[in-house]
Amino acid sequence: MWPLAKIELYKIFRRGRSYIGFVALAVIVAVIQLALYVDGANYVQFFIQQLEQSFNIQGKIINGNLVAYIILQTLVIQMPLLVALVTGDLLSGEAATGTIRLLATKPISRSNVVYAKFFAGSVYTLALVIWLGIISLLIGLMIFGRGDLIVLNSEQVSILRAEDTLWRFGGAMMIAFLSLTVITTFSMMLSAFTDNSIGPIVATIAVVIIFTIIGTMEFPLFEKTNPFLFTTHMIVWRSMFAEPLPLNQLLISVSVLTGHIIIFLGITLYYFNRKDILN
Amino acid sequence: MKFETAEISESGKIYYDLFSLRTVNPQFFKTSHFQIFLILFTIHYTTFTFAQTPNQIINTVNQRFSKVNDYTADVNVKCEIPSIKIDAINAKVIYRKPDKFKIKSTGILILPKQKVNFLFTTIADTTQYTAVKTGEELIGTVKSQVVNVIPNKDTSDLILGKFWIDAVRGLVLKSQLTTKSQGTILIENTYGNMLEYGLPDKMLFTIETQKFKLPKALSMDINTSKKDAVADDGKGRITLVLTRYVVNKGVSSEELK
Repeated sequence: MWPLAKIELYKIFRRGRSYIGFVALAVIVAVIQLALYVDGANYVQFFIQQLEQSFNIQGKIINGNLVAYIILQTLVIQMPLLVALVTGDLLSGEAATGTIRLLATKPISRSNVVYAKFFAGSVYTLALVIWLGIISLLIGLMIFGRGDLIVLNSEQVSILRAEDTLWRFGGAMMIAFLSLTVITTFSMMLSAFTDNSIGPIVATIAVVIIFTIIGTMEFPLFEKTNPFLFTTHMIVWRSMFAEPLPLNQLLISVSVLTGHIIIFLGITLYYFNRKDILN
Repeated sequence: MKFETAEISESGKIYYDLFSLRTVNPQFFKTSHFQIFLILFTIHYTTFTFAQTPNQIINTVNQRFSKVNDYTADVNVKCEIPSIKIDAINAKVIYRKPDKFKIKSTGILILPKQKVNFLFTTIADTTQYTAVKTGEELIGTVKSQVVNVIPNKDTSDLILGKFWIDAVRGLVLKSQLTTKSQGTILIENTYGNMLEYGLPDKMLFTIETQKFKLPKALSMDINTSKKDAVADDGKGRITLVLTRYVVNKGVSSEELK
């Protein structure tokens, strides 16, 4: 299993396309950091002007923690796309190039092939999350310094002390990894159904966009369906910055996300093991 | 009987003159008219001596604070605001006469718009407002004089200031400011070690607050369902607990930067 996983990792990391995500993240983060460095005060002022009508807010509001948080929020929608770009053709890419027939004739089980691809896809996702953490938080702290974090929600503002933020970012990154692993398995599942690379990538992106838009709309109908959408639970990383920590909500969402991973992986295994490889 | 006029009050002087007159016309002092006059006169002057004008009441506070040239103190700021969650934080307050004021802290502070020394800057210049005494009230067990302050200029943010003043000790126990920009603000002071300078140990600000609302798309609060409404009486409370006062030991300009 491990040699197979190593081969899959090698396949992922030798492809130029796999680095698009890293470069895209670096560019997005650099642009946001530059914008906040130049005009961050005005940007933040826009959000806190309601509070400043009643109170005098003192202290270093623009700091590395806030910049990292803003970046994480901005990348909520983009990150799944970057993941799907690579994981969406883990199986269909083999079918498209014709190597899947060769792979299936080897003395390894099809399940092991799926597990190896899932492992490699997860490692890629983890690398992307770690990369995001390094460039957003570490570089952000180096440029903007440390400080208390203002978390703006639609109906509440939480101010977290600087010493109380690092473990929250750690937890948020772990949940982000779990969320993106859902995308990894979902796109891999779609990838098992087709023989072309583009289809699963586009389908994954489309599903994420549609679910996200439904989640943004405040219609009573969608309020009922939202708990069943995996995108609803994907942004639960934000709850790591809530005070007090909503442990119940976190546990539910983590369970739902893990459940999705198991279901998508199970469907992939079931389908791929029975798939007629005709190409 | 001989009095030193420099040491006696105005009523005393009148008594002195009347008793001097007695030696000239002793019969007049035996009439009932004079005795009634004497009783009324005594009642009037007794009342006059103990009743203070609103400005005199305010000046008891000003006199106490005029002893302060500068001070520093540690302050613990605790906020209870319905739409804001923030832990208490320690900071340092620095003041230098007449209006230099700074609060230094390592983190983000949410403070009332009014500075801690707002009280003294508001009532310091008695020519800037008209003061009206409206009665007396008990604040806890302390009898306080209630004085309303109306600014003379209509450009001032303050519309009406109501002060509950312990005129005996020269302390503002409570104040209620009605402002154009922030509505009504209630400030309750508790005094301790720095009674001599009129500096409070604890200040509780009760401020009218607006419900915080940001569009979901702006706050990126996507895919979240409506949360249960937080208990909100439309008021935010900020408590400042001041300790370790250092008064009149000098404050450098560096410290105020």
